[in-house]
Amino acid sequence: MIEVIHTINILLPIFYLATLIAYYYDFIKQEKKLINVKRVFLFITLFLHIIYIILRIVAFDHPPITNVFEIFTILAVTISFSYFLVELVSDIRGTGPFIIILPLIFQLISSFFIQDLTEVKEVLRSNLLGIHVISALLGYSGFTISAVYGFLYLILYKDIKLNKFGLIFNRLPNLEVLERLSLYSAVIGFCALTITIIIGIIWLPVAFPKFSYLDPKLLGTFLVWLLYALGITSKVLGNWRGKRLVMLSISGFLIAIFSTILSNFLAQSFHSFY
Amino acid sequence: MNLFAISINHRTAPVELREAVYLKDDEIRSFINYAKENFLKEGLVISTCNRTEIFGIPANNELSHDKIQSLLLNFKPAQNITEQHFQNYISRDAVKHLLSVASGIDSLLVGDNQVFKQVKDSFQIAEESQFAGYIMHRVFDAAIRTGKRAITETGINEGAVTVSYAAVQLTEKIFSNLNKKSALVIGTGETGEIAAKHLAEKGIGNLAVTNRTQEKAEDLAQRLDAKVIPFAEFRDSINKYDIIISATSSPEILIRKSDIKNALRKRNNNPMILMDIALPRDIDPETKKIDYVFYHDLDSLNIIVEQNLSKRKAEIPKVEKIIEEELDNFWEWYNSLQAAPAIKDLRDLFEDIRNEEVEKNKNKFTAEDQEKLDIITKRIVNKILHHPTIELRKAGDSSTRPEEAMMKIGIIKELFGIGKKKNE
Repeated sequence: MIEVIHTINILLPIFYLATLIAYYYDFIKQEKKLINVKRVFLFITLFLHIIYIILRIVAFDHPPITNVFEIFTILAVTISFSYFLVELVSDIRGTGPFIIILPLIFQLISSFFIQDLTEVKEVLRSNLLGIHVISALLGYSGFTISAVYGFLYLILYKDIKLNKFGLIFNRLPNLEVLERLSLYSAVIGFCALTITIIIGIIWLPVAFPKFSYLDPKLLGTFLVWLLYALGITSKVLGNWRGKRLVMLSISGFLIAIFSTILSNFLAQSFHSFY
Repeated sequence: MNLFAISINHRTAPVELREAVYLKDDEIRSFINYAKENFLKEGLVISTCNRTEIFGIPANNELSHDKIQSLLLNFKPAQNITEQHFQNYISRDAVKHLLSVASGIDSLLVGDNQVFKQVKDSFQIAEESQFAGYIMHRVFDAAIRTGKRAITETGINEGAVTVSYAAVQLTEKIFSNLNKKSALVIGTGETGEIAAKHLAEKGIGNLAVTNRTQEKAEDLAQRLDAKVIPFAEFRDSINKYDIIISATSSPEILIRKSDIKNALRKRNNNPMILMDIALPRDIDPETKKIDYVFYHDLDSLNIIVEQNLSKRKAEIPKVEKIIEEELDNFWEWYNSLQAAPAIKDLRDLFEDIRNEEVEKNKNKFTAEDQEKLDIITKRIVNKILHHPTIELRKAGDSSTRPEEAMMKIGIIKELFGIGKKKNE
């Protein structure tokens, strides 16, 4: 089984690359005959990725959430799965190449550095932790997709304002759709992050009696949560929209990434397990 | 095939000459009757602002392009039109030209949607006027199939190629659902009217029009089920509209930057699209600097039009391939139509000769040998006709050029006097 896992580990970045090329080719050429080929590529890659994760769980006796490289592979699969659903449900084409590149990067890093861990810290064996991590990953996938759609919104907004009617103008969906996709992804991400925080608060005093509420990871996460709460409320109240809203989404995503890097690699946080 | 075609179109004649020979539907019907009385037994007449075309199969063999041109000019006298203003086609080229027209690649605006509908309407008139016979029906079928295939299999009619339509298409790149949006069209001249019509076709939720001459606005509003805003008051209500298209002949700016800033404030920064398709411009171009305002003028819309035209032109080879395929299918059918009777006539002729000779001489043979005589002579005739039959069948398939097919069939008929023999 280990051999199969190692083989799929090498194959996955190649499959993601092939999928990205298929999406990119469709974006450039937009040939009617090839319109479903890219989806087949994505489906096969996703299928292979899910098999890979199941095999890892069975072989190493824990879900792959115990270190950053295991988490990256989960992040890759959640992003591509979310996008697969978005494309199927909304039938919106043209944004694929900008999303698929993310799972490719995450999986590439994961494939290079992931190890066959069978020993994990006792603190990471909690059931609550499983839900905490899964909801956190869902949240970050939502924010990532929201930021990508927000970024695409800004590019298209600028292109239309400057009379640039090139590939971006011709292939991307309209501004309102991009804004909506960015908002919906952010709302899903926000809900998941809320669950993550609630579980974290319940679980923290049990797992780490000496933790501090001023921990950089906690502060960073709370800041991200507050930012998205502000953005979503403003949108609901009708005060903020369009450019301002997507800028908020992109900022939220950047702070989320920065906070993760800071707490895991640079600052001393109870949240640094590896 | 003796299908003749003459065409006066945007490439051969200026608009005033095209206008002079333009035929309205009732005129087409009258012209068809006139043509039937003169030389043509079946055919087709297409007349649009960009072309007048006459396709016809002559009732006898004494027809030329000049005669069809004269027929048209006698029916609709027009000065200054000479034969140089006509393009002439015959046989395969005539069918090919019709397929090119139906597919839109011969149009002034490549891939024009309108022309396919106009061609279909012309077919309808020809049928109603009993001007469409057996062969013309097949020509129509081929043309309609070509037109449909060009639309579904290529991008020949994709993208906006007029400024008014480009303006409406651009709004679809900003708003997702036009039926939830409201639009104001300022100026109800030709350009404004077309833009308003496009918006109505796209299902705009709320359409309003305004014009210096109120009656014109009311007339258009009635046709499009739109609201009329008095021209003097439209500035006060621009905040109510997501899309503003302006196409007046006003020499001065009608909407200033401050008007838009105020409107945007009232709209709580809800995006606004401003399409200025007037010359000189109606909307202050400085409005483009305001956030959430998408301002576009003729120059920017022309960029879209030019891009789309280039894309359509790039699709022409694909359409030409479809035309060739449909042309081959048509000719296969047409050649087989010619070859099959020729084969039958040839075999009948030989069978008649054989029968005649056998009948004449069978008494010279014993009763037992008479049967053998019948079998042997049949075998001889079959062997003699084997090769000519194969050649005639070949002439009936699409790989043979129509001229070559007709030549082969003609030689056989001539050598054996098939047509003459029948007539005698």
